[in-house]
Amino acid sequence: MEKSGVTSRPVNGFAALGILLGLVAVATAVGLVWRATTGRSRAARGHRVLAPADVDVMAFGDRATLLQFSTEFCAPCRSTARVLGSIADDVDGIRHLEVDLTDRPDLADRFRILQTPTTLVLDGTGAIRARIGGAARADDVRTTLDRILGSDHVTA
Amino acid sequence: MSQPESTVSAARGIDPRSPRFGAGITAVLLLVDLFLSLVGATVAAAVLLLAIALLFAWGAFAGVQRHPYGALYRALIRPRLAPPAELEDPAPPTFAQGVGLLVTGVGLVLFAVGVPLALPIAAALAFVAAFLNSVFGYCLGCQLYLLLVRARVIRRRATA
Repeated sequence: MEKSGVTSRPVNGFAALGILLGLVAVATAVGLVWRATTGRSRAARGHRVLAPADVDVMAFGDRATLLQFSTEFCAPCRSTARVLGSIADDVDGIRHLEVDLTDRPDLADRFRILQTPTTLVLDGTGAIRARIGGAARADDVRTTLDRILGSDHVTA
Repeated sequence: MSQPESTVSAARGIDPRSPRFGAGITAVLLLVDLFLSLVGATVAAAVLLLAIALLFAWGAFAGVQRHPYGALYRALIRPRLAPPAELEDPAPPTFAQGVGLLVTGVGLVLFAVGVPLALPIAAALAFVAAFLNSVFGYCLGCQLYLLLVRARVIRRRATA
């Protein structure tokens, strides 16, 4: 059954099981770290301002805009669109926009987007105030909006 | 106030738990395959990896809705669970099947041309992706597809 020559040297059954256990442990650790960090809102560094024309719309939300970047091959983009859409429905002056990056790869480059969904939270002037990588969490988005809007209207 | 100007196509709808169930079976098979490869049962490992690659091809080309694991899920698991809270577009898990086919396929080709280590490495990589998808709901396509978009490998056709 074994190949000769440049083949890798077989290990015994116990060593092989140890390698499998190690692999499962590493994968579990990676998964736990990923789950703990994904979808968390982070304050934006610097001051960058978007114009509505940058994403081909006429206007942003009066008070804030949830600008979501998606692709078609992204299941969590759908759940994020529902979360952000319902927040925009609940709160006056907040608009949810979704952009498919397959149509606008230039935006993926410009904002150095490495995963979908990625959401930028813009204030009323179009300045980027926060960034959410991964599936957005409703409570986290509302807290971020509170901070940006300087009120407790969103979580009330 | 929500007016999402979405270009994302509407969902046709599969139970989102079905692809994760399938990824769980795939992860277990890949772990068995890695074990066979490590203990030197190389022929058995190659045959099993080929079978796993063919199952990925089934999902990638016929769509996850027509994959045998989907049928298994509908027959055995779904009747025991509550109805799904929401349905999911089959396109993302179908893309994920293509990623699995690529990883296992490259491993098999390299193995066939004389790189024996390609077999356990491909099995281990595919295992990590399938395991993270099944247990944590991690979406590899959410990053890989975007990399292809950014590399301009994937472009929107004017008619699409």
